[in-house]
Amino acid sequence: MNRNILKRIIGGLSFTSALFVFQACYGTPQDLGLDLLVEGQVKSSGSNLPLEGIKVSVIENDQYVFTDEKGKFGFYAPVSDSINLAFEVVDSTQNSLYLSKDTVLDVKADRVYVDIKLDEK
Amino acid sequence: MFSLKKSLFRIFKETETNFHELNYLFWECTTRCNMNCLHCGSDCSKESSHPDMPLNDFLSALDTIKDPPSDFTVVLTGGEPLLRNDIETCGLEIRKRKMRWSMVTNGYLYDNEKHISLLNAGMGALTISLDGLEDTHNWLRNSDKSFARVDQAILLAANTARLNFDVVTCVNQRNINQLPSISDYLIRKGVKAWRLFTIIPIGRAKDNPELNLTDQQFKQLMDFISKTRKTKTIDVKFSCEGYVGTYETKVRDSYFFCRAGINIGSVLIDGSISACPNIDRSFSQGNIYNDNLFDVWKTKFEPFRNRKWTKIGQCANCSDYNDCQGNGFHNWHGDKQNVLVCHNQKIKNTEQFESKKQ
Repeated sequence: MNRNILKRIIGGLSFTSALFVFQACYGTPQDLGLDLLVEGQVKSSGSNLPLEGIKVSVIENDQYVFTDEKGKFGFYAPVSDSINLAFEVVDSTQNSLYLSKDTVLDVKADRVYVDIKLDEK
Repeated sequence: MFSLKKSLFRIFKETETNFHELNYLFWECTTRCNMNCLHCGSDCSKESSHPDMPLNDFLSALDTIKDPPSDFTVVLTGGEPLLRNDIETCGLEIRKRKMRWSMVTNGYLYDNEKHISLLNAGMGALTISLDGLEDTHNWLRNSDKSFARVDQAILLAANTARLNFDVVTCVNQRNINQLPSISDYLIRKGVKAWRLFTIIPIGRAKDNPELNLTDQQFKQLMDFISKTRKTKTIDVKFSCEGYVGTYETKVRDSYFFCRAGINIGSVLIDGSISACPNIDRSFSQGNIYNDNLFDVWKTKFEPFRNRKWTKIGQCANCSDYNDCQGNGFHNWHGDKQNVLVCHNQKIKNTEQFESKKQ
């Protein structure tokens, strides 16, 4: 803690933005931390069994992932107060009995978790 | 002339050096590359003599770092990192450790699908190399498809607000007069940040005179950056590769500070522990297969943190030494008896030449 205070005082006195952001000459800029972890699980509302292969996408952008064999998914999305997620059945054979669903998540931390149950047609 | 600002910055550098907090770690995760660039400092090739480093080997080293700072970033570099088929897994494992990650790429394999999967895996910063307009980029990259591919990659990255993204350009004799046009191109693509380098005469670059700028051309580069920064149309800057005397703060946001071994470390392809990957490999401070990475960081790196040994050759009697301290660390290769490139001298030579002409 004391180190950081001292750094900031000296850096501030020399009016340098190098205190806050720097990059190696052959490296990248620094990650500014503008994302959050979205995780969850998708199950059948009838059987309560996990659903694999459901497409989970962020409605505001092109991001998507698919649920794994345990119905789980996880990805990093842009920081926001809320996230609109779509749960789509894209497999015409395995999950054809289920209805797609959209949901809005309120974001209050740097990670959110959601359990979703898809209804049968 | 005495400058309070400069004096305070020297104290700041000294303080940073004494603290030497590791918050930027390169991982040379592969030395395979899908390009055959004329300027490659690594002499990378499609068939590298080193196998890619297994992820678990790197993670074991990463796990030695206790209480990393909140901005701790692992920078995946190569070779071409996108040749690894587990790059997303690498990123997710880094994020699980409350660390961040970013990547340097040539953009050739960076399509929409890859863009999404990398964002899903928590990539937060990205640098793409663009070395000119179509003709000069493809020439340097030694590939007639390279520009079309990188153009697509730049468009994807530039339109993703959460990515801290920049483009880097290696300036050489063929593209120096294209810089205004490259600037216009980047602005049209929505790029906000652009970093310019010169090419260090190492690796393949040392045998190709077209890659190295003359002293006059180097000053032309400084003038271009300085002038373009004033327009505020794009955040263009000179990289931290070297001290540039009278152009300091005109071409960058702050004074020159080479943080290699002070805040910047690396794990190289063979497990060597060093600072930036383009630094002479004889400066390696240990190896993750034999040593604890964090112990090495805390207790070694003496040549990086005390650079008095660079007061040799043309640096021995230089009046700018206190601000420059031997230039960028990667400028010390071979027998290390003299600095490889003195950017400040290039500027001084040109200024003398111009004043004689008048």
